[in-house]
Amino acid sequence: MAAITGEMSWFCCGNSWGPCGTAGHGACGTCNSGSYQHAWPNASAACLEITRPDRCGISLSRRGCGFRHYTTNRCNGKRIGTTIADCGPQTDLWCGERSCCGSVCGTNRIIDLTPAAYSQIASLSSGLSPCSVDIV
Amino acid sequence: MTETIDRRRLLTSAVVGGASLVGATALGSLAPEAAFGAPDQAVEPGAPDPNFAEGRITGISAGMLFVTGSDMALWRIRITGGTSIWKLRPTTFDTVAVGDGLYARGLRLDDGTLAADSVWVNIVNLHAHIAAIGRNVLHLDHKGRRVVGHLVPGTSAARYNNTPAVSDMSMLRVGKHVQVIGAWVPDTNEVEIATVYASA
Repeated sequence: MAAITGEMSWFCCGNSWGPCGTAGHGACGTCNSGSYQHAWPNASAACLEITRPDRCGISLSRRGCGFRHYTTNRCNGKRIGTTIADCGPQTDLWCGERSCCGSVCGTNRIIDLTPAAYSQIASLSSGLSPCSVDIV
Repeated sequence: MTETIDRRRLLTSAVVGGASLVGATALGSLAPEAAFGAPDQAVEPGAPDPNFAEGRITGISAGMLFVTGSDMALWRIRITGGTSIWKLRPTTFDTVAVGDGLYARGLRLDDGTLAADSVWVNIVNLHAHIAAIGRNVLHLDHKGRRVVGHLVPGTSAARYNNTPAVSDMSMLRVGKHVQVIGAWVPDTNEVEIATVYASA
């Protein structure tokens, strides 16, 4: 798989406080905010029916629970490896959305990282950043 | 690895000696943008990160946060002069309170404490639908539950698709899907909104 560019955000899962308290451990049953994990829009056929990246013109490979992806923050070049633990983001709700830092932009939401993973390569308060995702 | 050890020694001496770490050091800036991402990933994909903490504050004493994780792990988080603190906006240690929730990233020291590079207090990232709009308030449906989002004049901003953040909330519509970065008001269903992302 060649690197795919797009947008990344973060989500909470597992035991948590506040509005995250009801998040649960994700579609794979293993998700925890403190672990290096992520949500992927094509984690299963049922997942793809919800996230529908194809509606935004994106084709993402089917990858199941535990599969490793490597995400690079295109704003600073920082990179992190994580495993699939949930289904998401719901790409089709945001078709065409674009986030930029300077002249570097990403279009369409392709991955959500756990807080532990996202905060390793970006500030949680940024919420959304351009990224690239690959498997090596 | 050498840099990690040296950084640990620096942080240890700073917190033990009560020194204030500010801005850049000989090891590089301790600002969050410099702290994100070590050159080599020491933690296996899928594994818990020992340099990341999550939970609620149960005590505050002499620059130390005592935190009980949602998994009941107990954390002692050291705040140094170089720690960046976010609570709705970049802020200072004196705004942090017992009962607040947090995420923290830093470096585990030999004494078991986490010397914090960054602490995000009460931060939430909600994906929701707008159920109603009032004066300086958004009523949100979040996973079947109602969350009251307060717009804070001078702080809250909106991003519509690919626009820069603006204070104008007039393009928000009932029924629209939004993402909200905000600060939870502890033990309530209310948040203060920092940024609301909305499709145009």
